[in-house]
Amino acid sequence: MSDLTGIMAVTMIIWIGLFAYVYRLDRKVSRLED
Amino acid sequence: MNRVGFALKWFLFVWMVVVIWAAFMWIPSAEGFKGESSRIVFFHVPTAWVATLAFLVSCIASGMYLWRREPKYDFGAAVSAGLGLLYAVLATVTGAIFAKIMWGAYWNWDPRQTSITILLLIYAAYFALRSAVADPEKRATLSAVYSILAFVTVPFLMFIVPRIYFSLHPDVMTNADPDNSLDSAHLIVLLASLAGFTGLSVWLYSVGTRIEKIRHRRRQEVL
Repeated sequence: MSDLTGIMAVTMIIWIGLFAYVYRLDRKVSRLED
Repeated sequence: MNRVGFALKWFLFVWMVVVIWAAFMWIPSAEGFKGESSRIVFFHVPTAWVATLAFLVSCIASGMYLWRREPKYDFGAAVSAGLGLLYAVLATVTGAIFAKIMWGAYWNWDPRQTSITILLLIYAAYFALRSAVADPEKRATLSAVYSILAFVTVPFLMFIVPRIYFSLHPDVMTNADPDNSLDSAHLIVLLASLAGFTGLSVWLYSVGTRIEKIRHRRRQEVL
């Protein structure tokens, strides 16, 4: 695996983690609003 | 969560996955840059753009609060200033990584680096002010006035000061020289990244303001 592929994989993992965190937070806020 | 909101969030997810893939795998490395450093533009420029946009939204929401005196505008101003600060930190970090690759040092006190540091301090002081005032109405009024005054410095620090003094910072986006501008493939990915980061910010703003509203409602119930 080249350096560039490695950096892309790390960036992708950060994005997936951020998305999952915000998505869960969004759902939790929606439940609290009801 | 309604269907449109659900679809938009998953569209944003796929959109950014494609942007990240394209930024590293589809786009060839730009000429005139050391190694793969040019690829950082796809993340550095959008974070700087979204920081400016968030500071603008904070200023508008602050003005709306002073006009209408409704807490929702104060929440909007605070959440937006927080997002602006976060993105400005990310722009500074990505810029420092680029500086290390291109010029051999993370920090050079380049006019861009100096001006964004001043901007970070100005908006950090906004949160110091908010935490120093206990009365919610007084806090909202003072921070709204501060936010408007703080935004006056943004065009100077982000756009004017770095162009007055000599800077090592590449200026391909506003450069009139066709030999030193982005080619169409780079521009497409950069614009797609700008759209993705803007979409993410809108989502974060929505979640942040809703959290503040819930906190406000709970405080009202306790009193």
